Amino acid sequence: MATETNIRTGNSVATEGANLCWSCNAAVAANAHFCPNCGKVQPTTQIDYFEFFNLGGAPTRKLNIDLSALEREFYRLSRKLHPDVFARASAKEQLWSLEKSSQLNDAYRTLKDPIARTQYLLELEGVKLEEQSSDATHAARTSGEQKKQVVPPELLEEVFELNMQLQELRMNKEMGEDDPSIASDLQQAKHRFEKMMTEAMSELKTYWDEWDAVICTPGSSEAGRIKVRDKMVGLLNRRSYIRNLVRDVNEALGN
Amino acid sequence: MAYSDKVVDHYNNPRNVGTLDKSSSEVGTGLVGAPECGDVMRLQIKVNPETQVIEDAKFKTFGCGSAIASSSLATEWIKGKNVEDALAIKNTDIVKELALPPVKIHCSVLAEDAIRAAIGDWKKKQAATESAPVAAQAK
Repeated sequence: MATETNIRTGNSVATEGANLCWSCNAAVAANAHFCPNCGKVQPTTQIDYFEFFNLGGAPTRKLNIDLSALEREFYRLSRKLHPDVFARASAKEQLWSLEKSSQLNDAYRTLKDPIARTQYLLELEGVKLEEQSSDATHAARTSGEQKKQVVPPELLEEVFELNMQLQELRMNKEMGEDDPSIASDLQQAKHRFEKMMTEAMSELKTYWDEWDAVICTPGSSEAGRIKVRDKMVGLLNRRSYIRNLVRDVNEALGN
Repeated sequence: MAYSDKVVDHYNNPRNVGTLDKSSSEVGTGLVGAPECGDVMRLQIKVNPETQVIEDAKFKTFGCGSAIASSSLATEWIKGKNVEDALAIKNTDIVKELALPPVKIHCSVLAEDAIRAAIGDWKKKQAATESAPVAAQAK
């Protein structure tokens, strides 16, 4: 294996673009699953999901991808890598087909979902969504200043209020009385939040376009890249509250 | 994932759930959220203007068991402390006390944020009443 990619950072450990086939010694691209010369399955490598599907490696991973092409490639590779195909192959080839099949499933599941794909890219770009909030808390503790919440205060207020309503509805249900006005409030809230989810999705898509434009412009600044990246982080943060609300409203309404 | 006994205890018997009068000059309110999981937490404190001691604390949290336990514990800890001592509470203290697993650390962060936000809100109110002496001393 000449190239190993650290899946968390996307940094190539070695920069060589090609390997040699273990079986026939022909040159093989680092992310190729089969040798173009002898057709043998190649060893498993720790490449990221974009590279696995040959959708470009760091730093030019595009967020707009052709989903039907992705699906076709998924089915094609599923058939070709299926462990049954390797029943009579050597032990190492059997192992690679198993490992690659598992990588294939993870990669497809992540890339086909718009949110998972964006989160995955952000992770490759070094954003740890899990840690940004605690980092901000540490900063606030040190400086003694108010921590800046990562979502707008109005959204928090709204989320809190809706949760109060939901709780009221649940309690009323437990007591055996259904207040129709609460139910209709919840219906309205459900529509409002579902609309917000749709809007968040179209907003995300405009950021994908911005991202793809930035990474494809030669000599574009790192600052521009970070700006788009952070817009996506902010949006995903807001979206996680809205997603929970939609889930809880549906649960309370008994859908 | 199994919750620790302390988390379960706070979850089943949450301390200090409720609301304080948001408009009172002695009450500070903090509303914070954890974007990782979409949890929201409101923590309120009532501070004695003479001694600066937190005489009462209430919370309301919509979230997982660890978030509820973290805020419940936070209200228990800050009651009876003066505001500066309450600001010294760190999320890691909560993690230790409740034996929170790594995936739930953000719940403790949320509780620390809520304490800071409530005290910040209270301080803002104090500054406002000092600069408006006519309205002050009205309790």
